[in-house]
Formats: sequence, structure tokens, C-alpha cells
Amino acid sequence: MTKFFIKYALAFLVMIPAQAIIFNHAVLFNVAVPLVFLSLIIYLPVTLGTNLSVTIGFVTGLMLDIFCDTPGVNALCCTVLSFARKPIFHLYVSTDDDLAGRSPSAHTMGAAAYMKFMLTMVLAYCAMVFTIESFQLFSPGLLVLRIAASTAYTFVMLYGLDILLMSRSDRH
Amino acid sequence: MNELFGFLLKHSKWFVFTFFVVISCMLLFKGDPYRQHIYITSAGRLASTAYKSANNVTSYFNLHEINDDLNRRNAELQAEIVRLQEAIDVLKEEYCTDTLVVDSGVNHFDFIVAHVINNSIARPFNYITINKGARDGIRPELGVIDRNGVVGIVSNVGPTSARVISLLNPHFRLSCKIKRSDYFGSLVWDGENPGEALLEELPRHTVFEIGDTIVTSGYSAVFPAGLPVGVVMENTTDQSQNFFTLRIRLMADFTTLGNVQVVVDHKADELRALQAGEENDSKKNPFGN
Repeated sequence: MTKFFIKYALAFLVMIPAQAIIFNHAVLFNVAVPLVFLSLIIYLPVTLGTNLSVTIGFVTGLMLDIFCDTPGVNALCCTVLSFARKPIFHLYVSTDDDLAGRSPSAHTMGAAAYMKFMLTMVLAYCAMVFTIESFQLFSPGLLVLRIAASTAYTFVMLYGLDILLMSRSDRH
Repeated sequence: MNELFGFLLKHSKWFVFTFFVVISCMLLFKGDPYRQHIYITSAGRLASTAYKSANNVTSYFNLHEINDDLNRRNAELQAEIVRLQEAIDVLKEEYCTDTLVVDSGVNHFDFIVAHVINNSIARPFNYITINKGARDGIRPELGVIDRNGVVGIVSNVGPTSARVISLLNPHFRLSCKIKRSDYFGSLVWDGENPGEALLEELPRHTVFEIGDTIVTSGYSAVFPAGLPVGVVMENTTDQSQNFFTLRIRLMADFTTLGNVQVVVDHKADELRALQAGEENDSKKNPFGN
């Protein structure tokens, strides 16, 4: 578990600035934003306690808010998402007995279930974050477009990252 | 205490989640006046929607009181109309004669709101019972109207209720006139249709048209002049008769009578006394002089 936390802290230190400095500016067609930092929540071990995962989610969101000057937006969404992580996981996998201490992945869950899990998580986050942002200028069509495009973009990026990490671990 | 700790521990994830959500929301709404405004507006809209929905349900429970208020107000307005009409009449007379003075005697009609507690329309002689009686100032021979027109006349009075001879009763004859031409006759129910009655004894030279409004003539101490009674439907006069008889569609809907107003004429006693005096005089000296 200590090893996990060290790895997670490193990932955290890389991913949050990367999201704020790089990915937030890699916008496609002015609508699609890749929210790659979601991997910090998605890759949390399945059996991690809800209290801890919610705290991690809140801190992740809060740090991103500090970088992006969006107080509360990402903190709220990350808190809700990390709280809903387990129920979403159990939508596609009935039991987590065999996954003690392991992160969700195509290898541990099966490719189809993992993709569905990741897609649902990304979609839920995009829906929340863009809905809150749309308070400033509400346009239903644009809101739906931003949610759909950002979900697709983020999903592709996360899936690519997943393949990259998997191939590295296979090599090792 | 252990149970309390057990409970808190068991549901700790909800407490933690709520705690972080609250902090996030505070951060979210505190720094941004626009979001704060949106939140307050949305919350206000949500609350008002909830209140509206609740009001939609609860308002039905208050309809009885509202209806009473409306009826009371209606009675006041009806009285006001009659007073104004009479004031206009007096002013007209003053204008014509240039000698009469407007007196305070125009305020002699009052209206008491009552509920119909029994009503019949299918019998040959129909009566109505209302929930107001002598204690409320109801006396025999007071006129009864509803929001549409004349309904009947009070016959018997108890302490808290009164019996009204319906217009749908051949015993009740009402002096009416054609509003447009002022020709007057006597309205009576012929026992056929509860929505229709006959206006009899109109002179042969009466000018009228189908659709003309029939109103009370005011030639009695029961109803003020000008109260709506019905509308001319057709002329049913036999060519051999010396008087016109018109079929009238009654304005008051006797099948749905709910609230009525009893017309109180404060001058009625005076008028009756005068008329009784005239009758006694004519009995004593039937040939006039």
C-alpha cells in the first residue's frame, strides 16, 4: 500500500500540473478538452475505502482548482466522482473480491467492462463540470456538444495512456 | 455511546462526502458573485415552484371561504349598483323638474348572502330553502336573486332558515318589463321547462324583439327595478288575445343554484302601509269621491 501511495503521489505531482499547463490548452474545435488527470481517480484501487478515495478525490480537484483558478468546480466534481466510483464499478463488475489492492484495468476487469467503466466515469465528470461551468453562459446545445466531445477526447487519451502503461509494464 | 460511535463509523463515508461537498460548494459559490446569483435565483425558483405546487393543492381547501367573500362582495356591489341607479334616477328627475332635491332615501336596499340548502325544479310548485333566517334579518316577502337574475321570494321564515317560493312556481307572479321599451307585464312559470317562463299581459302595442332583455319593473316593494330576469325567446300569443304573451329564457339557472342574495328593501314597510291605506280607502269609498 505504501508503494501505491508513493506511486500515486508521483503521478499526482506530474498529472495536476500537466493538466493545468498542457492538457487544458490542448482544446479541439474549441469544445473538446482532454481531462487526463481523471486517471488519478479512475486508477485508484478498487478496494480502497470510500473515505480515503473521497478525500483523495477532493484534494485532487482542489489542487487542480488552485492551478486553474476555478475554486470549487473540480473539487466538487472530483469528490462526487470518487464517491460514485465504486457504484459505477459495480455496474459492470459484480464482485471485487479478486481485485484487492489492484487498480481497474483491462487486465483486471476485462477489456469491455473496463472501457465501459472508464467511459461512464469520464462522461459523469464531464457532465458535472461542464454543467457547473455553463452557469455562466447557458447554451443547451453547446453544453451537450462540450460534454460529448470532451468525453470522447478524454476517453481516447486515457485509453492511449492505459495502453502505454500496459505495454511498459509488459516489458518490465 | 458505543452504538453512536458504531453508527457514525458505519455511515462515515456519507459524513466525509457531505463535508467535502459542502467545502467545495462554499468555494464554488463564495468567490463568484454571478454563480452565487445563479444559485440564489435557481434556489428561489425551486422554492417558488414548490410553494406554487403546494398552493395549488391547499387553495382548494380555501375555496369555500373565498367563495363566501366573493358573494359578500358581489352583494355589496349589487347594492351599490342599485343605489347608483336610483341616484341617477333622482338626478334625472331633478334635471327634468329642476325642483327636486337629492335626498338620502336612495340607500334603502341591502343584500344578504345565503346558501341554498334545498331546491326543487321538477315539481309543479317548486320551493327553495336557504340557510339564513330571522336571526340574519330575513323576513317574509323579501326578494331573492342570484348572480344571474331573479330567483324567488321569501315565504316562510324560521330562526336560521327560510323557505323561498321559486320563480318556478305558478303561485309566484313577478312584475317585469322589457328593458328596451319599458312595457311591463307579469312573469309566471307555466310548469313546462325550468329554464323558461311566460311574460303575460303585455299590451298589444308593445314593441319588442327576440333577444330583448326582461328586467324587474320595480313596481313592488320586493325587487328594485332593473334586475335581470330573462331574455325574450318567442312570441306565443294567440291572435285572438288582447295581450301579448312572450316566452322568456330565464337567466337564473335553477339547476345549479348555490349562493343567492336576499334583497332587503328598508322602505318596503312604508310602501305596504301606504298601499294598505289606499286599499282601505277604496273599500270605504269604492266609487272614489
